[in-house]
Amino acid sequence: MSTSVTAGASAHRSPRDWALKVAPWVVLFVILAIVPFQFPSFRVEQICFWMTLAIAACGLNLLTGYNGQISVGHGALFGIGAYTTGILITEFGVPLFGATVASAVVCFAAGILIGLPALRIKGLYLALVTLAVATLFPLFLEQFSAITGGSGGLQITSPQLYRGEMRERPIRLESPIAGLENDQWKYFVFLGITVVIFILSRNLIKSRVGRSLVAVRDNEVAAESSGIPVSQVKIVTFGLSAAIAGIGGSLFALDQGQLYPSSFTIVLSIYILVAVVVGGAASIIGPAIGAVFYGLFSDVIIQQMPDRIQPARAVILGVLLILLMLLAPGGVVGGFRTLQAKWSARRSSAHNPSPDPIS
Amino acid sequence: MTDFLQILLVGIGDGAVYAMLGLGLVVIYRSTGLLNFAQGEMAMFSTFIVWTMWSLGLPMWLAILGGMAGGFCVGALVHQVAVRPVGDPHEKPLAVVIVTIGLFLGVNGAAQLIWGTLDRSMPPLFGRGQVTVFGVAVAWQKIGAVIVLGVMVLLFYLLFQHTKLGLAMRAVASNSESASLVGIPVPRLLMLGWGLAAAVGTVAGVFIAPNLGLGTNLMQLTLIFGFAAITLGGFDSLVGAVVGGFVVGALSSVMPRYITIFEKMPLAPAFILILAVLLFRPEGLFGKKQVTRV
Repeated sequence: MSTSVTAGASAHRSPRDWALKVAPWVVLFVILAIVPFQFPSFRVEQICFWMTLAIAACGLNLLTGYNGQISVGHGALFGIGAYTTGILITEFGVPLFGATVASAVVCFAAGILIGLPALRIKGLYLALVTLAVATLFPLFLEQFSAITGGSGGLQITSPQLYRGEMRERPIRLESPIAGLENDQWKYFVFLGITVVIFILSRNLIKSRVGRSLVAVRDNEVAAESSGIPVSQVKIVTFGLSAAIAGIGGSLFALDQGQLYPSSFTIVLSIYILVAVVVGGAASIIGPAIGAVFYGLFSDVIIQQMPDRIQPARAVILGVLLILLMLLAPGGVVGGFRTLQAKWSARRSSAHNPSPDPIS
Repeated sequence: MTDFLQILLVGIGDGAVYAMLGLGLVVIYRSTGLLNFAQGEMAMFSTFIVWTMWSLGLPMWLAILGGMAGGFCVGALVHQVAVRPVGDPHEKPLAVVIVTIGLFLGVNGAAQLIWGTLDRSMPPLFGRGQVTVFGVAVAWQKIGAVIVLGVMVLLFYLLFQHTKLGLAMRAVASNSESASLVGIPVPRLLMLGWGLAAAVGTVAGVFIAPNLGLGTNLMQLTLIFGFAAITLGGFDSLVGAVVGGFVVGALSSVMPRYITIFEKMPLAPAFILILAVLLFRPEGLFGKKQVTRV
């Protein structure tokens, strides 16, 4: 179905089609560029959090959407990224974004570590193991409270010049550009990282490696027999996915400045999964749409309701997940693609009526 | 030595509760082939029903029966509206996992909406007393848990081995297509299985609530212990759930006591157990080996 759509598009390629393809992206970037100037500081802060979630969801999507390995434990990897960043900055004085790079490396290793047993444990059982990881992670943070601060929290500090002397102070992302507030600066830095990560994953998916990810998901035996090193692909995907989730976690740490085990429970893992599923698994932009949906829903819409009704958030998200699986397993992007396919099928059949219906 | 025995017995008492939750998980796995990640939340929900009835002045045993009935309805309903329509768990594992995760969120949120986020207290079913044998004190509550588990296993045995209904349920579990061809109403039996599993979970919740305090995250750790139990015992074995429950209970009680690194994470031994069994003996101790055809 999708191949026929792209074939149709390339056959009709004209300046007008090209403009139609590029226009939405231009609009999107204009909107993204003016957002921090249109909204109050606390909203900009919230949007920064949505971006960390989008990055984590992008990582999970590579693993679950494209490679077919289910993880209900990406909240734990997000947490490992966050705590690695916090500890490196506070204890070892690593520069802020240097810590982000290090967190990606640490999470890559953690992902490989989880990916190894995942070679033998599949499907529902992998979901079980990752669920157990997610449940265990906050307890793990409490157990090693000497390093993580336990339930008292980890305050991320770095030596800073304060009233003429160097002191340990809470970290801040200071804007180097006059006229740009600190939160606006943070927004653009986060946005840059998010966009780069999404573009890199798009390139990965469109490459030979990306096609082997999908081949492994669709049929392992067939992939193996056409020469794809299945085990390698699965392990490296787990590592990459974890590294991306770790970058999300690292930015979360830089954003919050303090970390508590209660932020990294099973519920976080579920929300990352929600972002992937709502936006559309196995689509590049899906996780970002899902993260924005989740953010709008839980930070804007639900906040309008009285306190007593707040838990309805979980009920609505839960029901939504189930309904999506029953009615539109492709999420927002999947639904959009179906509509698009129907529309272009109607258009092309109007030009040259073909005997075989496409959808 | 006394110290060790003491801790071991506490663990076995806890293990009986994990086994109860495990029984429900096994019943669901056998009939529908899926791991129900919402089992713990469903048990929490029906334990709240028990609490509500009890705090309205009903005697405890009646409240428990009411909670089990409520749990049964929740389980049956959940199967009808959410689980059945998604399809086969082994063909579409992601969809099924997401549905059970959706249930997890939804049931948890519903409980918070109805009962709020404060922890409630519930009295131990068998009182706070204890009996001392050879210098080892055992709480009646723990002994009670083992006895109740025994009764449950007996009832399950009678149901599955000595009634027509049980025979039909086993037929559905072993080959649902053939079962439906000989006229067994498969969907209705699957619904019954989900109801039963949820009802059994209620009892597990009633035993745990006095220890942990009845809150909406009552079962989140217990669920993993329950899964560890059935992973060890074999996902489709009722006997396995019981044996696994006791082993997991004992390990999670003894190991944190003697190995400092597990001190604050009693869940860690259970996690290691899940991982090790899935890696080296995926069928568990009593389960059937699964063969996939290419």
